[in-house]
Amino acid sequence: MSTNRTRSSRRAFFLKGGAVLGAGVAAGASALASGKAPPSKDSSQEELVRQLREELDAAADREALRQLHFTFTAMLESQNYDAAARLFEDPAHLHDYRQRIAPSVHAAYRPNSLQQQDLVTLSDDRQRASATFHVDARICTALEGDFTLARMARLQGQMADSRWESGRLEARYVKHAAREWRIATLHYVAS
Amino acid sequence: MRNYQRLQMHRIAYSDLSEEQVAQALRPTANGPACRSPLSSVLAGKKLKIVTDDGGPVLEYHFRNGHDLEVSEGGGKPVKAGYGALECRSLVMVSHMIPGTQRGYQFVLDQSSRCATVFEVSFSGYAAQETADAAQAKPKPRTPQLKNGHRNREVQRRVWFGYVDDGTAAPTARHAYTNRLEGKGIYWKQDNDIEILEFYLSILYSNFIELTRFGGEMTVCAPSDYVMVNDHLFIYSRIECEFSGTYTLQVIDLFDLTQRGVRLGVNEKDQLEYYMYTGKGEIIGQAASFEVFGNNSETRSGPRRVYRPIETFETLTDEQVKEQCLNHAHAFGDGQGSGAAGMGGYRTTPITHFAGKQLTARMDNGPVIEYQFVDGKNLKWRYEGNANWRDAWYEMYEPDDQLYFFAHLLDAEYPRSCAMVALDMKNGLSTIVKGTTGTPYRNNETHPTYYFGVFQMEGGPTPPTYVRHGWTDEMVGELVTWNYQKGNPGLTSMHFYATPNAYSWIIFQPDGSGGLQWSSPGWYSKLRDGVYIMAWVEEACNGTLGVICFNQRIMHDAGFGFHVGSNGLSLSVVGARARHAGKFDVKKYISLRT
Repeated sequence: MSTNRTRSSRRAFFLKGGAVLGAGVAAGASALASGKAPPSKDSSQEELVRQLREELDAAADREALRQLHFTFTAMLESQNYDAAARLFEDPAHLHDYRQRIAPSVHAAYRPNSLQQQDLVTLSDDRQRASATFHVDARICTALEGDFTLARMARLQGQMADSRWESGRLEARYVKHAAREWRIATLHYVAS
Repeated sequence: MRNYQRLQMHRIAYSDLSEEQVAQALRPTANGPACRSPLSSVLAGKKLKIVTDDGGPVLEYHFRNGHDLEVSEGGGKPVKAGYGALECRSLVMVSHMIPGTQRGYQFVLDQSSRCATVFEVSFSGYAAQETADAAQAKPKPRTPQLKNGHRNREVQRRVWFGYVDDGTAAPTARHAYTNRLEGKGIYWKQDNDIEILEFYLSILYSNFIELTRFGGEMTVCAPSDYVMVNDHLFIYSRIECEFSGTYTLQVIDLFDLTQRGVRLGVNEKDQLEYYMYTGKGEIIGQAASFEVFGNNSETRSGPRRVYRPIETFETLTDEQVKEQCLNHAHAFGDGQGSGAAGMGGYRTTPITHFAGKQLTARMDNGPVIEYQFVDGKNLKWRYEGNANWRDAWYEMYEPDDQLYFFAHLLDAEYPRSCAMVALDMKNGLSTIVKGTTGTPYRNNETHPTYYFGVFQMEGGPTPPTYVRHGWTDEMVGELVTWNYQKGNPGLTSMHFYATPNAYSWIIFQPDGSGGLQWSSPGWYSKLRDGVYIMAWVEEACNGTLGVICFNQRIMHDAGFGFHVGSNGLSLSVVGARARHAGKFDVKKYISLRT
């Protein structure tokens, strides 16, 4: 993995003042600001362009990963599990993930106050990545039973219990096409 | 004289009318609704344009007189139709159908604010909508609920909020869904002499007792809409889904307790009912509501859900039920316990100190059962005079001081029965509710038989000669919430003991508002002051017999559930914590005629 570890949150981006590049390349902008030295005066124009392109490509990858994360959490919240499974390299991994957290159900994820510590890390060849997203997770316990009250409660979308807890999603990604990333593994860790 | 019906609504086999039959039945609607009271001519000669939000209909009206209108939908060709209108203060309620179709509009407009709420109604739309909903169900598509036919008779409705476009700037205010009617009960007497008790105990449902049409024996439930005009004017509608499919829309004025309504549907005789009415009401009570303060409006995250127990009831054959009764019967998990994940999450500590004791429960005009309690889970029982002892699992609880309630399965025969036995150690009395599988309507329903009597036991009290536990109506009108498991709302319902023969239950939604609701027959007996046995059978629903011994002093119950289905026959425990939620003064409306 690259040491090119940067904060990817939208808030971090604005704090770094990278508005010129837009929110979509927040991580790249912050990388320019905090990581590598700017091109020297005697660098060739070609090298400067190459370096900028590299930075922009990395920023675009990070934004793609961030969008993938948001897409996943939105699909999970809307219980669109079939579509969410297709975000994984192996669609069966989502089923495994949900089995691991059973009997609880994760009904929603929300960015929480630790989101400034979110990390997206790209491999040197930008074909793999890992990320940590700090979230509040809505943890629900399914209503069991075949009796009438349980049936009616389930029909109105109800759970036996529902609470929010803070945690983080640890994900690994693989690049599937030019800008298309997929989730390789996903783990939830309670804080 | 009470107009009792041979069949209550949940037992009527409503015909599955074809679209053509519905069209035929609706033909007279082209002339507009009938009405015993004078209809309003306030709109006669006027032109009116109603614009609704969210892509809803745009309706341009020309009211030729007090009975005839022309309506153009979305700028289309004007269509002539008969209509009816009724006024309530500044509100006008209008009802008309589109001749030659199975569609129509009912709307309420406010002449002072220009706000309008439009109910777009239609017949023969259930199957298509249900098929589409099933295909889009989350987390995965489900099978459409078409077991009981296409339900062409069932009115479908869409609610649109909008305004009257008079060429000036559109008003920003709208009528809105509300919970401000939640908890209220009203007796209505309509201008056509129909008397009905309506209870608005949920924000999605209502239940009502048909005093005139059905004699007031049962209460039934219907998915409903509640719309607030202001703090005393409300719009209420319901559709009698699972029954005739009839649609009712009312404007309710809580200042002078009057109503203006329209009823549209095809009744159990497949005859059209399309009329407007006025009515006068009496408040009969107010139940508590459980939303947090500040939550005054209904928040809907999708289409209004409809509970369809008749559609989803698993009906088994005689042979299937027999197999479950004889070979798959389990009481209290065969001694391993039951109910913890269900309705027994708050059961109290089981009573085991009868181990080693013997007694005889002697019912008047009923069974005499001898018991030997082997230990805290096993007993032996036999009918008096019978030589053979039978083994059975049992569980016993103490819902009141020295008042014990236990249950066990009876003989492994078909139909299969269980005994739920109350022993009143302070009074020497015993009551048995015998649950048995099967009703004349379904094999996998259950039914109760009550027996009142005494018990005899060494060291026990001398039983009285004449005194008995007995039937009561003391609980009638009461509302009680029941929390069966930890969690909020967890598994929590509200019972409304609506009549001496029926009750209704409401499932709370996460925000504390009332959600889905259904009803069943129910029976009430009194053991002691404030201590009652209440039994119900979820007829045409789940078939379960529930029997609880409810102690109002500790607001707790101990009880049992008896059920047979494709997963076997079961006897399990019920234990929940209660809160009082109010009382309706219903007895004077439903008591026997004198």
